[in-house]
Formats: sequence, C-alpha cells, structure tokens
Amino acid sequence: MSRPAIEVRNLSHRYTTDPVLRDINLTIEQGEVFGFLGHNGAGKTTAINILTTLIAPTSGTAMVNGHDVVAERNRVTAGIGYLPAEVRMYPHMTAAENLVFFAELSGVSKPHEAVAETLEYLECSELADRRLGSFSTGMRQRIGIAQAIVHRPQVLFLDEPTAGLDPMGVRQLRETILRLNADLGMTVFMNTHLLSEVAQVCTTIGVLSHGELIYKDSIEETVRRFPDEASLEDIYARMESATP
Amino acid sequence: MITTFASQQIQSLRRQRIFVALLIALLAMTAVAGVLGWSSHNTITRVYDEAVRLLAADGKPAPPNPFLLKPSLSLLSNMVVYIPLLGALLALVLGHLSLADDEADGVGRLIFSRPVSRTHYVAGKLFAVASVLAAALAGSLLVGIGSLLVVNRAVPAITDLGRLVVFYGLSWLYLMVFALVGMIAVLMTRRTSLALLSAMGVWLVITFAVPQFTSGLRPTESLNPITNPVSTSQRFFQITAFARPYSVAEQYKAASSHILNLVTAEPVAQTIQRVLPIAVLVTSLAIVTLVLVERHDFSRSSSNE
Amino acid sequence: MSSPSSTISVNTATSTPGHRVLVIARHEYRAAVRSRILIVLLGILVVATAASVFIASAEYAGRLADYQAYRAAAEAGGVARIAPSPLAPLSLLRGAMEYLEIIGAVVAIALGYLSVSRERSNRTLPLLLSRPVTPTELAAGNLLGALGVIATLVAVTAVVAMLCVGFIGHDWLNGIQLFKLALAYVAAVAYMGVFYCVGAIAAAKSKVAITGLMIALGIWLVVVLVLPQIGDTLDADNQIPGGLFAALGLGHDGEVRILAHFTTYETIRTSIETASFAKHFERFAFAMTDVKERFRSLSLPDLFFQVRTDIAWILAYSIVLVIGLLRAFRKQPTVPQGGQQ
Repeated sequence: MSRPAIEVRNLSHRYTTDPVLRDINLTIEQGEVFGFLGHNGAGKTTAINILTTLIAPTSGTAMVNGHDVVAERNRVTAGIGYLPAEVRMYPHMTAAENLVFFAELSGVSKPHEAVAETLEYLECSELADRRLGSFSTGMRQRIGIAQAIVHRPQVLFLDEPTAGLDPMGVRQLRETILRLNADLGMTVFMNTHLLSEVAQVCTTIGVLSHGELIYKDSIEETVRRFPDEASLEDIYARMESATP
Repeated sequence: MITTFASQQIQSLRRQRIFVALLIALLAMTAVAGVLGWSSHNTITRVYDEAVRLLAADGKPAPPNPFLLKPSLSLLSNMVVYIPLLGALLALVLGHLSLADDEADGVGRLIFSRPVSRTHYVAGKLFAVASVLAAALAGSLLVGIGSLLVVNRAVPAITDLGRLVVFYGLSWLYLMVFALVGMIAVLMTRRTSLALLSAMGVWLVITFAVPQFTSGLRPTESLNPITNPVSTSQRFFQITAFARPYSVAEQYKAASSHILNLVTAEPVAQTIQRVLPIAVLVTSLAIVTLVLVERHDFSRSSSNE
Repeated sequence: MSSPSSTISVNTATSTPGHRVLVIARHEYRAAVRSRILIVLLGILVVATAASVFIASAEYAGRLADYQAYRAAAEAGGVARIAPSPLAPLSLLRGAMEYLEIIGAVVAIALGYLSVSRERSNRTLPLLLSRPVTPTELAAGNLLGALGVIATLVAVTAVVAMLCVGFIGHDWLNGIQLFKLALAYVAAVAYMGVFYCVGAIAAAKSKVAITGLMIALGIWLVVVLVLPQIGDTLDADNQIPGGLFAALGLGHDGEVRILAHFTTYETIRTSIETASFAKHFERFAFAMTDVKERFRSLSLPDLFFQVRTDIAWILAYSIVLVIGLLRAFRKQPTVPQGGQQ
C-alpha cells in the first residue's frame, strides 16, 4: 500500500473566533509511529477529532488511508481505531460485553472470537467477565486499547495514552504500541506532551505550538540535527522558544 | 455560618435558568387559574341569562342565579391542583439543585475540609430552600389576589384574604415535603440524574398511586379540584383505611378545599387533623436529611452529566 | 506483555446500516433493562395498574353476579326478551390506561433522557462515532431499542390487567375485545414512543443533560396534566358542583339549546384539549376499552371513524417527533463544545 496513512493539506480549524489549528500540512506514511508533541491547548486533540471524523475542519482537507475524512466518513472510520484521553465505557457491562458491542458496530463478523483473541493478545483475558465499573485506570486503559484494535484498524489514534498511568502501566503501554506496530503493521498517531514517550516509541515526531506545526522529522534526523542538545527535552524547549 | 450557606444557595438558585423558568411557570399558572376563574364567572352569567330567556319563552319562572351558589374564592380553586403539580415539580427541582451542585462539582469536599459543622450546613440549605419556596408562593399569592381584584372589581373580604394566606401557608408546608424528597434523593443516589428521577418517582407515587390504594381515586380524578367521594366500602379499602390520613396528597387537597371554603364546611379540628400528618412528615424528612448529611461521604463526587 | 507467539488474524468487516441499527437497539434494550431506576418506575406502574384494575374488578364481579342471577331467573321464568348485559369488562382497564398516560409517559421520558445521558457520562459518543456509525443510525437504534423496552413494559401491564379482570372480575375477554385492547396498547406504545423522543431530544439539545430532563418533565406536566385539566375546567357544566344545568333546572334538551349559543367558547375549549397530545391518546384508548358508553355499541369500523382525528394526531405527533429525534442526534456535538484542545 503506497498511499500515505495520513495526509493533511492546509488544515485549519476554529471553534469560535480564535483559530485552534492554522494551515497544517502533514504526511504520515504507513507503518510509522508518529508522536504529536505540544503543550496543553496546542490543538492536538482537535487534530485527532478531525482525523477520527468527530468534527469537520473549518478549511483544508485531511485524508486517512486515502479517504477524505468529511466526504468518505464511513471508509475512514472502517480503517481506524481510537483511544480517547480518558477512557470510559459502559460501567455496568463487562469488559467483554463492551468490546463485543464496539466490534459489532465496526462490522466484525465473529465479534466474540475477535474479542477473546484481542484480550489474549493484550494478556488481559482475566478481565473479560468483570464489570468495567470496578476497574482501575490501568485496566480501563487496556480495555480501551482492546476497543481500539478489536476490528484490526490500519491506523490507530491515541490521545494522551499514558495520562494517569503508573510507571509500570506506561511501560506496558509502550510495549503494546511497539508490538501492534510490529505484528500488525499498524500506523500509530499518538498525542502527547511527554518527550520520554516519544523518544522510546516513535519513528517520527511533529511539534504543534499554538495551532501551528513548527517541526516534523524522524527521530534519528531530529537527534542528528540537534547534536549539541543533551536530550529531546532540550530540543523541544529550543523549538518552542524559536517560535514567536 | 447558617446564613452564609443560605445566602450562597439563594444566590446560586437565582442564576439557574431552569429554576427561574419553573418559578415563572408557577406564577403564570396562577394567572391562568385567575383567567379560568374569570371565564367560569362569565360562562355562568351567560348561561344563566340564556336559561332565563329560554325558561321565560316556555313560560317558566327564572331559577335563582347559580352564581350565588359559587364560593367566593372559587376563582382560585384551580390552584389546589396546580400547586401539587407545578409547585411540587418546582420544589423537587429546588431541593435537588440545593445539594446536587455541591455533590457533582466536588464542592462538598472543599466545604468540609474547612471547620464547618454539618448541622449548620443542613440548616443553611433548609433555610434557603424554605425561604425560596415561601417567596415563590408569596408571589403566587399576590398574583392570585390581583386576579380577584380584577375579576370581582372589589377588594376581597378580610376573611377571604385570611383564608388565602392560610391556604398558601399549607401549600408551603406541603411543598416542603417534595423539596426535602429532592434533597434526600441526592444524598441517597450516586448520580444526579438518578436522584431527580427517584424524587420524581416518589412524587408520582404520592400524587397518583397512593390515592388509588386508599380511596380508589383514578389518576385523572386526582386532577380535579374537588373530588367526589368514591365508594370505599370494599374490603380492599377497609384494609387500606388506616393509611388514608397519611395519603398527604388527598389530605392536602381536602384541607385546602375546606380552607378556601370550596366545599361544605367541616369542623376546624378535622382540618387540623388533615394537616398534622403533613407537618409530621416534613419534620421527619428534615431529620432524615440531617442524618444523611451527617453520614454522607462528601469525598466522593457524583458524576453530573 | 512479552508473550511472543500470539498472532492476530484479521476479520473481514461486514457492516451494513441495518445491522448497526440492530446492534445499537439490542445494546439500548440491555442497558435499559439493567437500569435500576427504570425497573423501579416500571414496578410503580405495574402495581398501580394492578391496584386500579383490582379495585374496579372487585366491584364488577358483584354487578356481573347480579346480572347473571337476573338472567338465570328470566330464563327460568321464560321471559322472551332478556336484556343484554350492560357491563363492559374492558372499561375496567380505564385506570390502566390512565396510568400509562401519566406514569408511562414519565417512564418514557426517563428512557429517552437516559439513552442520551448514558453516552455522555460514559464518554462513549466519540467511540461510537469514530466507527462507521452515523448519528442517524445511533438515533434509530436507540429508538428501536426503547420501543422494545416500552413494548415489553406495556405487555407486562396488559397481562396483569387481563388477569385481574379474569380472576377477580370473573369475566374473560373475548376475541374482539382482545383485539380492541391490543389496539389500545399499540397506541400506548406510540404514545410513550413520542415521550421517549421528547426526553431524548431535550437531553440532546441541552448542554447539561439534566437540564434537558427538567425541561422534558415540564413539557410532560403541561401536556399530560395541565392542558387536559384546563379543558375540563372550562366545561360549562362543570362550573358548579353537581352540574350547572342541573342547578338551573334544565334537562339535556335545555343544555343542548343553550350550548348552541356557545359555539365559539366550545371551540376554544376543545382546541385547548386537542392541543394536548395526551388527550388524543386518552380518547383513543377510552374508545377502544369501552369506557365511554356511547362507543360500546359501535362496530369496529364505526368506532375507528369516531376516533379518526385522534388516530391522525397520534400518527402525526409520532412522525414529527421521530424526525425531531433524528435531527437532534445529527446536531448533537460529538466532542465537548468550546474546544477541548
């Protein structure tokens, strides 16, 4: 598949008067793990909302797997998985019931088997028959990921996936992302404001500041371009300070 | 400290659009009751005129004007129905709002991390709720007196004014039941929506289901200002008769009809007997509220959707 | 997290709008059935219905026994023309219909409110809509599931009511009566479906869903309780306890002659009543259950003709509210408004 996983052209968005995203151009190839960095309020979640078809952009175009997010909504949503910042699902239903429901909506032909397989893959089969309401943040997060991949999407969107997780949880999540990328060839689009996440997981990074994409390159290239910097954090700080 | 809670609560209620809307609705319904009373007055006069003409044509004598049969306060008889309906919804929402915000926004945690007594907290809330209800009913009373002035083109007699004031006092007591139910529901449920729906359920039971058991009143019969006594000779009612004094919706309506002189008078002692269970209920519900607040876990904020 | 061998096979996606609507409907049904508040409201409805039919039936049993005794005596005495039974067992269900009209509507509003607030408080709307699910499918699925819940609920009260009439009233309904009763209950499902839409639309249109619930309950209060009550109060004959015309010493004939002068007044009064959707359901349901004596002797086609406007109103309201529901779901913000960035 040669078409890019995500292709964004001149994308702008505003909720009221102030623009949240300004003229973004961005291409992400299949199989990449893209880290979208930015301060709180930079516009990262808005970008994910547009790419997952939840809101229509004010102007510009966005394509996922070669399909336009506004004109070809159903084709886009068939090929993506989405994990929102704070995962909540139906608390009175068990994990498996939640997942079967979402799998059926995505048209998975054998939802029960797909759910069992997914839970096994994520090594949390023991959670299947427990009600979601009793889960810790970490457990909910894993069921949230299961929800996002149960229909085997080509592109996975993660919005601040490590927020609220303990260090072990963060490590588990990192390994899961890498495995999904390696085993299933999933393209991953991840919002974060934590550089440690990006450095260990991503192949490419982009930096969003006040709605503008101020930087995008591979991790290797980034480190090569800023050799005198001690860590990615310094690079981030330098980019931020370089923008007006 | 009680006044701090109370004034904060009243201020916050004044800014809640839904509460203001319900308040306006109550006042509007009082005006509607006045219009209906006026229309009733008109209809009777016109029907009487027509009847006199008709009877005269047949050579029959004119009957006495039935308007004289109509009690002087009948103009506002519909209030006996509107207060348990619209007023009760207002009271439920009022009680609900007075605690739900503290619950949902986690304000309770902030309040009780300060040197604050829970008794004072409850007292403040109750005072706020009681005075807002009183103010709402006072507004309704004024609109009612206004309609009497306009329709009768005369200042109501002092006894009638007295009757109206007593009726509104009873209404206040009756509505306090539902304000307290609204508060208790918030304290007993985890989600605000469940709280409001449960309180609503209690209101439905008191207003429409209990009279069915104690007096065989079908729900739409509960909507008439004056209910005709149903035959309650069945064994079924002999079993439920003990509960009839506690069917507060019926007792409120019966007592109101007597206070407003809409039906043939009964001894004052009997009317007081009807009101007593309502007063007992309000007192017990207030105590329950206090106990529940004392025991409530304010560290857990409920979800407000 | 390091088991190396687990592999995942990719399922072929087969998803049609119809399939998705059914999946959502089933989910809605299950969620509603698990909701404790709905079970409690249903309990109130069933107990109140049972009580009203029980009370009516107990009295009815006595009257039926009297009639049967008369009939047996008349037959034994060789009376040629035996008066037909003046009793209408279906009319015992009047209370059941009124409870559906009042409490049933609140249950339906709660159902509608909960289907919107559930997705909001669980934050599942983005999860649903980032899948190949359109807002229209979501609304249709929720409505279908809710109608399933309402049908179940109505069926429970119907069975309870019929058993009361049979066992306590000692009269079992015949084929045509069952058919009329079934029609009344179909109307009840449509009636409650409309209030489901009211609850869901009000919640979907309000920023804070619970405000929507309060608004919906306010609408309920006006439509179900206040408007019909106003219409009733304005009835000229109801102006004096015991009846105005009786107080004037006028019979039915005189009443008709006088009311001829009050056509405008009567038109206003009727239009206030007809403004209430609940009144149309009530009229239809009362006609089907023989509550009004003048309907009892009518054949089915005549009966339908008598209530044709009520049928038309029920259908019109149903269509308008369903369209409103679809629109409200399409316009509902999928992400918290004001720009969560």
